[in-house]
Amino acid sequence: MNTPLDDEPEDLRYAEYVLGVLDADARAAVEREIASDPLAAAKVARWQQHLLPLAEDIPATAPPAHAWARIESALGMQTARHESTQSARTGWWSNLALWRGFAFGAVAVAAACIIALLVLPRAMVTPAPGAAYMASTITQTDGQVGWTATMDLQHARMVVVPAKPQTLPADRVPELWLIPAGKKPIAVGMIAANGATAIALDKALVAQLGPTAALAVSVEPPGGSPTGQPTGPVIAKGAIGAAAVHGAG
Amino acid sequence: MTALAQFDPDALVELMRACAGGDQAAFATLYRRTSDKLFGICVHMLRERGEAEDALQDVYTNVWRRAGSFDPARANAMTWLITLARNQCIDRLRRHHEEQLDDSAAQRIIDPDPDPAAHSEISEQRQRLERCLATLAGQQREAVRAAFFTGATYNQLANRLDVPLATMKSWIRRSLIRLRECLEPTETQP
Repeated sequence: MNTPLDDEPEDLRYAEYVLGVLDADARAAVEREIASDPLAAAKVARWQQHLLPLAEDIPATAPPAHAWARIESALGMQTARHESTQSARTGWWSNLALWRGFAFGAVAVAAACIIALLVLPRAMVTPAPGAAYMASTITQTDGQVGWTATMDLQHARMVVVPAKPQTLPADRVPELWLIPAGKKPIAVGMIAANGATAIALDKALVAQLGPTAALAVSVEPPGGSPTGQPTGPVIAKGAIGAAAVHGAG
Repeated sequence: MTALAQFDPDALVELMRACAGGDQAAFATLYRRTSDKLFGICVHMLRERGEAEDALQDVYTNVWRRAGSFDPARANAMTWLITLARNQCIDRLRRHHEEQLDDSAAQRIIDPDPDPAAHSEISEQRQRLERCLATLAGQQREAVRAAFFTGATYNQLANRLDVPLATMKSWIRRSLIRLRECLEPTETQP
């Protein structure tokens, strides 16, 4: 269908919207029309068909491995799925099945995860020379190990693994906190109660990691603490220690 | 270069349907097949990897939540996904970067590939668009590409290409009308 001349200004606005030149207000106005007017939606869709082939010119770029874990975590999905969805290119760090294999039943200190890496085939273990790691054993109030956390400082990421599946009330989830000495807790992220969780760390947060800081797990409503500070009981806590990888390079 | 045709449209439609039904494994497969392309777009438009990662997360959480609203009769699945990614990036640019983008340091026009026709693997639709773009005057074609690849507003484009705002608007609007004529040539009324 051709657009009659009398609605050309409208059709041009849709074209400008798809091209991306409108300011925030004008964009919002078009989006309201798309939502309420099927004809507007159809015209926008036609312009998308016309112009989006330009996107072919943009080279594909593999996202970092932790991006998927963040998405699953944001959607509250079962991290156990990682076993079937990890592809080889994501590398050893993000292989949560591997991490979980170490931790379940082993109930070892987190550093054991790092040591275990040393006995893996060389190809799987290729930390950068000089890479610094820290580890924490997050111990429950009853003295049992709750989670182990391993932090890769160079790449600003952390893997948190429960020592055994954790039982929490149905509508509650565990949230991980970093507590610098003498300061308020900083939210690190939601973690899984019964599987490994990979978390990308802010640079500001990495700067706070050190032997005077601690990690803690509190029980929060789904989506995390609404206040930015722990609202539920703290069920586990642990100091942070260095866990440098020697001889693995 | 990635021709959108390389993404099997029927398979993507099936995956989208499964996502709409809550199938997390299908969502993981969809992510594996499409995230390189969408992350490439985010990195290119936002120019900052950290923000591109944030954008990618928002794109895929939207994909999961809105998969049910995808209508294969209306749009190709990859077009729908790329639209989500571009809209996410443009909204972020409007929110965070309105001032920075006018800085002289950012005035360089970012064009991923000034000569896409040189590549053989591009889709038929892309070739057709290229033929239509080729009918535009050089500056106007450059303005359209700059707009698409940077997500910049008319104001920002006028600043960067150093022309008056009215000129920039006129270039782009006339180019869009020209492209429409070129891309919809035979569909005249009886």
